Amino acid sequence: MVTTVETSAGPLPARTGSLLRETRGYKVFRAFNVVALLGVVAVTLYPFLMIIARSFSSDTAIRSGRVNIWPVGFNLTTYQLVMNDAMFWTNYKNTVVYTVVATAIALVLTTCYAYVISKHQLRGRSVLIGIAVFTMFFNGGLIPNYVLITSLGLKNSLWAIVLPNAISVFNLLVMKAFFENLPLELEEAAQIDGLGTYRILWKIVIPLSKAVIATMLLFYAVSFWNSWFAAFLYMDKSELFPVTVYLRNLIAGSSTAQSTGAAAADVAQVSANIQSVTMVLTVLPILCVYPFVQRYFVSGVMLGSVKG
Amino acid sequence: MSQRTRARGLAAAAALALALTACSGGSDGDEDGAALDNRTGAMEDYAAGDQFTATEPLTFSMLFSDHPNYPSQDDWLLWSEITERTNVTLDPTLVPMSDYEQKRSLLIGAGDAPSIIAKTYPGQEDAFVSSGAILAVSDYVDLMPNYQKKVADWGLEANIDQLRQADGKYYVLPGLHEAPWQDYTIAMRTDVLDELGLATPTSWDEFRTTLEAIKEARPGEYPFSDRFSETYPGGNLLNMAALGFGTSAGWGYNNATWDGDAEEFVATAAMPEYKEMVEYFHDLVADGLMDPESFTQDDDSAIQKFVTGKSVAIGTNAQTVVNEYEPGLATNDPDATVAKIPFPCGPVGCVLNPVTQTENGIMINADAADSPNFVAMMQFIDWLYYSDEGQEFTKWGVEGTTFDKAADGTRTLAADVDYVGLNPGAPKHLQKDFGFAGGNFAYGGATELLWSTFSDAEVAFQESIADYDMIDLAPPAPLDEAESEQLTLIDTTLRDAVSQGTIQFILGQRDLSEWDAFVADLESKGATQYVDVVNGARDRYVADNG
Amino acid sequence: MTVQGPEITTPVPVPAGPAGPAAEITPAADPAARRGRVSRRTRRGRLDGKVPWRVALRRDWQLYSLAVLPLIFFAVFRYTPMLGNVIAFRKFRAGGNIFGEEWVGFRYVEMFLSDPTFWMVFRNTLVIGALTLLFCFPLPIVLALLLNELRSRVFKRFVQSVSYLPHFLSIVIIAGMLFQLLSLEGTVNQVVTALGGDAVPFLQQPEWFRAVYVSSEVWQTVGWGTILYLAALTTVDESLYEAARIDGANRWKQTWHITLPGIRPTMVTLLILNIGTFMAVGFEKVLLLYNPLTYPTADVISTYLYRVGLVSNNFSYAAAIGLFESIIGLTLILSANAISKRAVGASLW
Repeated sequence: MVTTVETSAGPLPARTGSLLRETRGYKVFRAFNVVALLGVVAVTLYPFLMIIARSFSSDTAIRSGRVNIWPVGFNLTTYQLVMNDAMFWTNYKNTVVYTVVATAIALVLTTCYAYVISKHQLRGRSVLIGIAVFTMFFNGGLIPNYVLITSLGLKNSLWAIVLPNAISVFNLLVMKAFFENLPLELEEAAQIDGLGTYRILWKIVIPLSKAVIATMLLFYAVSFWNSWFAAFLYMDKSELFPVTVYLRNLIAGSSTAQSTGAAAADVAQVSANIQSVTMVLTVLPILCVYPFVQRYFVSGVMLGSVKG
Repeated sequence: MSQRTRARGLAAAAALALALTACSGGSDGDEDGAALDNRTGAMEDYAAGDQFTATEPLTFSMLFSDHPNYPSQDDWLLWSEITERTNVTLDPTLVPMSDYEQKRSLLIGAGDAPSIIAKTYPGQEDAFVSSGAILAVSDYVDLMPNYQKKVADWGLEANIDQLRQADGKYYVLPGLHEAPWQDYTIAMRTDVLDELGLATPTSWDEFRTTLEAIKEARPGEYPFSDRFSETYPGGNLLNMAALGFGTSAGWGYNNATWDGDAEEFVATAAMPEYKEMVEYFHDLVADGLMDPESFTQDDDSAIQKFVTGKSVAIGTNAQTVVNEYEPGLATNDPDATVAKIPFPCGPVGCVLNPVTQTENGIMINADAADSPNFVAMMQFIDWLYYSDEGQEFTKWGVEGTTFDKAADGTRTLAADVDYVGLNPGAPKHLQKDFGFAGGNFAYGGATELLWSTFSDAEVAFQESIADYDMIDLAPPAPLDEAESEQLTLIDTTLRDAVSQGTIQFILGQRDLSEWDAFVADLESKGATQYVDVVNGARDRYVADNG
Repeated sequence: MTVQGPEITTPVPVPAGPAGPAAEITPAADPAARRGRVSRRTRRGRLDGKVPWRVALRRDWQLYSLAVLPLIFFAVFRYTPMLGNVIAFRKFRAGGNIFGEEWVGFRYVEMFLSDPTFWMVFRNTLVIGALTLLFCFPLPIVLALLLNELRSRVFKRFVQSVSYLPHFLSIVIIAGMLFQLLSLEGTVNQVVTALGGDAVPFLQQPEWFRAVYVSSEVWQTVGWGTILYLAALTTVDESLYEAARIDGANRWKQTWHITLPGIRPTMVTLLILNIGTFMAVGFEKVLLLYNPLTYPTADVISTYLYRVGLVSNNFSYAAAIGLFESIIGLTLILSANAISKRAVGASLW
């Protein structure tokens, strides 16, 4: 049977004795590493702190450029403005639903297809791969896609968001590579035990592939969460929009960048920190998902004998 | 081969068949608009000034740009009141304002657009003309008495002519203004002007001398740091200045400008007036009066410089003064005051552009002409968009509920309704709660209607420019399909070269002595060819249409 | 007027670390396949290693069945709309037939091939794409390895989570930050003047655009790119490290001889994929950061089309250029794959 042990591919304690020399050099390196990574943290964290600070700051403070990493003129006005709007919550709920459904479908389809094309003995495998790769480069453009979705009757429905982007070939190829790396002995043993393809996939391959499945889940979820274009194209009822469309529209209402004249007069007053608030509201849930996903980033190393 | 492959093939074929049938192709609208079978629901004797009421309940689909600050609500008084007064229910297809134009393009391109396509600026309909997807409304304006009356009363025939295409017809129903409407100008710190004893400048020359005086008093800073460069460097500034200098630039740039004296189109950048304007701004930058970053910075940076007092002049429109500059200045410096200066006059004089009299309007889907309710729809649009009552209604709402009208015609908002800060603290909002004064309906109109919602400062500004002259409108010179395609790339190349060169010369990256070389380079990029084609189109138009 | 929807295909996680190995496994090395092929002789006695269809279907019908739904997806949502590309060779009118009105052959292709501006933007696209690849490919690997060396799990988690954050920043916000940082009085210029130099208007000078673009790309994607590599690192066999330690290898040697080869297949996969897609230079970012002064180096195919499109709304022209880009991308990935197979023995298929 197979035992899976959770380990991470990190450094184990060094031994003493003849390895003393490296240990000191290695110690220096490790200290340097920590410092360097702290630097990375600072550089990446700073803009975020600034954005969070802005989202809680007053309009005038922001326009005067007085906000750094700490809020000035702390207020929740824009947050309240957004969160008091029932449409915001409707759209947020939509986003959650779309993301969950789309990610589930995408994961199932991608895993199945990746598994199939990872089998080198399969006749027609190159054709199957080619079919997928070709679509990475060629697509039909806006209007044919729109006409297709409309004629399939999917306009203004969840499926218009979920289906057209169900498989990312990039993710597909990455998953395929992972599957190919799995030791074949396991599957062979299972075959000898009499398991069919479906059972092998379900009971052996997937449990071993937690890391890559978790990664794909994250990638797909983030991409669906952030997507607004499909909804924008195929939906025209505001109660069906995902929250990204809502927020993008909100930002547009505050910027005169779109306007070249009379249109600017249509821009009514919106807060200066609308972009920051938008960003915080969109990013927060993703940040909560990641730790949840992270615990699947573990090794699928087997201990114990498998053969025989 | 295998069942799977066959199944796939069938599925694909089915999808394809569906796609083909769904896109029935843009049928040409029926040309003879007076057939009796499209008068269902229309009024028999509809005339200017009448209240339009359909003889039976009708529904029309409409493309609606959804503004995030006042998103469309089903229970808006606007919708119910429209139905009550006109017996017409509007069925809006909502599109987020942020990407309205793209979605509109897509819907028209795919043949799936609603009957009434709102928020279309004159010029945006050009792309759709050749396909026949959009109605040639000029054929049907006899059904729209209010529209015709306003065009006649306000003398807008030349404006309308500008919209005509190569076939002599026009395809957009523009919003109409009684008088040219100028919103943009420069805003200055009036308290600084007072402090230094300077008069408010009224021309570009005076603007310069004022800036010099300010610079003397505050040597470390640029007195003028501009914005509105995000879509085009110096887009607004150059557009404004071009008027006074007698050319076109910035947002309003066109590769061919009409020369009224020579009665032909000329290459814009080759005009001596254009060079004069460039030299003016070059001198401003060279003398440290204008921040060189004005042409590339984002709006936020420019606003910051202004509200923190680093600069004292910035581009503006009515909204930004109230929404951005005043609040920003208030926290930094309670004594600061800001106001628009009168629209600057230039070497050509104190002029405004009458092209602003035709603006944001609507397109009609060509398929609508086949509908039995077509005449009713045109009458409806005529009433809603062009009649005095309709315009007042879409802007102010319902008398007694959202506004009151005094005997002399002055309108005041109801006490519990706010709009653009006229009733601060009021619990309800004209746009958000009722749906009036929204961007899809309320544009243009009589001057008194337009000014009815302006603040006193804004009215003062408008009055200061009320006596300005108007430049000549360019006559129509519509390109046909082949010419349009031919000029596409030349147009972009020239635009890029001109915008790039203009900024380089202004900023001093390129010496003004090279100007002639610059113009010669434009020649090689097709400047003359472009103008020749446009002039040819003009001649053809005159020959065909008189 | 955008050319083709920026999100019609799911946005790829920018040069993210690849995962997954293999593909070095040639068919013959695969024991299962070997078993299958050798033991089955067909009636015609084939020895070319290819199993006849009937046999393959009977043996692997379950596998094929798993592929059915995805294939339907490809057929309906990817291949059917592709027919619309025919408008690159037919004149398309908005609102008319989606397949165009009449054949115009290579007119649009000629239009852009003879347009000097097109070649300039093409060159810019190549350069910016190549530079992005050059910097954004190796750095996530380096960061992943550095993260791997951390002892404290808490600290490691913390750094990881923070490093992902820039990926989520919207382009609009990044552009805004860059404007602030790079303005004449921004932080960067403050440092420059403090060191005695003159302030440089970075965003107005074409020579600086590439540096600005690439460094902001690096900043934004490095953290996210480590995810796949870290996932790949979990597949490296622990016992190998043990053995190496016993043999006296230090940490650096372990990294070079175990870790890197262990994730090499992942790296190769990602490298090939990124080479294939490197023409897709970020449209929105360039659009927000460029201006006419920097057109010579900043203008890329997608932004040029956007400007041209605004004037003429010419779908056919856009489709023609789109096809051109697609063909280049496909050629690139095929070549990269072939070269990789010959040079390193690893390939995507």
